[in-house]
Amino acid sequence: MGVFVFLPLVLPLTAWPVARLAALHLHPRTATRLLTAVAVVMSVCSTLCLALLMVVGTAQLPGNPLPDGWSDPQVRAAVPCDGIAGRAAIPALAAVTASCGRTLWRHRRVIRRARRALTGLPGPRVVVLPDSAPYAYALPGGHGHGRVVVTTALLAALGPAERRALFAHERAHLAARHHRHLLAVHLAARANPFLRPLRSAVLYTAERWADEAAAQAVGDRRAVARAIGKAALLAPAAPAPTLPALAAAGPVPRRVAALLAPAPAVRRWPPVCTAVGAAAWGAAAGAAVSAMSSANSAVTLFLTLYAATPL
Amino acid sequence: MVAQHRRARRGQGELESQVLGALRAADGPVTAAWVRDRLGGDLAHTTVVTILTRLLAKDVVSRERRGRSFAWTPTADVARLAALRMRRLLDGERDREAVLASFVTALPPGDEQVLRALLETAEDTADRGGEDR
Repeated sequence: MGVFVFLPLVLPLTAWPVARLAALHLHPRTATRLLTAVAVVMSVCSTLCLALLMVVGTAQLPGNPLPDGWSDPQVRAAVPCDGIAGRAAIPALAAVTASCGRTLWRHRRVIRRARRALTGLPGPRVVVLPDSAPYAYALPGGHGHGRVVVTTALLAALGPAERRALFAHERAHLAARHHRHLLAVHLAARANPFLRPLRSAVLYTAERWADEAAAQAVGDRRAVARAIGKAALLAPAAPAPTLPALAAAGPVPRRVAALLAPAPAVRRWPPVCTAVGAAAWGAAAGAAVSAMSSANSAVTLFLTLYAATPL
Repeated sequence: MVAQHRRARRGQGELESQVLGALRAADGPVTAAWVRDRLGGDLAHTTVVTILTRLLAKDVVSRERRGRSFAWTPTADVARLAALRMRRLLDGERDREAVLASFVTALPPGDEQVLRALLETAEDTADRGGEDR
C-alpha cells in the first residue's frame, strides 16, 4: 500500500488547472458533467483513504474497541508515518463528516422552507411573487417537476424576448436537475478542500449550460445575454471582495460575453493534443489513479487487518 | 417532541396562507370566530388568533376593535405573504454556498462597467444588423 494511501488525498490538487481549462474550452454541458463526476470520484476516494488511516490510528489508541491484532507492527508497517497520519486522520474524518452532514442538512432545510413559503399559491410551473427585489430561482420539485420563482420587479425590467429567455434558463436548470450537480460539488468541496476550484467551476458551467439551453430554446443568443445583463444590473451590488480581484471579470460578464460570441461546438470528447484535451484527459486520468490507489489501499489494508484478526 | 414541534411549525406556515385566503374571501372585516368557522376542521380559537397576530406582524392584515374582539381585514394577498417568506429565506442564504441557483450572482464593483460595455456593443451590433425584438 505504502504512500499510495496518501495519493487520493493530494491528487485533487490537479483540480485547479483542470477546472480552469474545462470551464474555458469545453461545452458547458460536457464540462459540468465531467467536472462533477471527477469531483465525486476524487472526494469519495479521498474520504475512503481518510477512513483507512483512521482505522490504523484508532487501533493505536489505548482502550479502543478494535481487535488487539489491528495495532500489530505489520498493520502499522502498511502505512508510512503511521503514528502521525493515523492520529491526524481521526479529527480530519470527523471534520469531513460533520461538514458534509451540515451541508446536506442545510440543503434540505432551504428547499423545504422554500416549498413551504410557496404553499397555497396557484401555478404548478411558474410562481410570480409581488416583490420589489428582482430575483429568479429554479426551485426543484419533489416529483420531477419544479417551479420557477420570479418576482414582478424582475419581470417588469425585461422585454418579452428577455422574459422568455429567463424562463427558458430556469426551466433548463430544472430539466437537467442542476441542483443535484451543485449539491454533489458542494459535498465534494467539503470532503476535500483541494476540490474547491471544481465547485466554483461547476457553479459557473451549470449557469452557462442553462444559458446555452435558453439560447437554443428562444433562438436568440442576444436576448439571453440582455436578460442576464439587465437582471445583474438591477440586483444589489456585491460587497467589494476582501482580496483584490484578479484581472479576470466575474461570472456574469463572462456569461454575457460567451452568449454574444457564437454558440460553442458540441464535441463528444476533445483530442489529446490540445489544451482542452489535456485537461479532460488529465481529469479522467487523475480520477482513475485516485480510484485505483484508494481501491489498492482498501484491499491491502483489509487483507492486512484480516490476517491480523485472531479467529 | 422535536418532530411534533416541526410539524406544528410547518402547519402554521400553511395555516397562515389558509387564514389569509379565508379573510380575502370575506366581504369586509370579520372576526377570528368567523375565520375559524370558515376554515372548519378542528382549529382552536386561540390558534386562529395567534396566526392572525403573526399575519399582523407581517403587515398583511389589519384589525379594528369591534366590541370585545377584533375585526380583521386583509391588506395583501397570499402571493404577497409568500413573497415575504421567500425574501426572509433568501436574505438568510446570501453566501457562496447558496442552495438555490440564482439567475444572476451579485456584481462586484468592477464588473458593472464591463457588463455595461458588453451590453452596449450588443445593442450596436443589433442596430446595425437591423434586428428587432
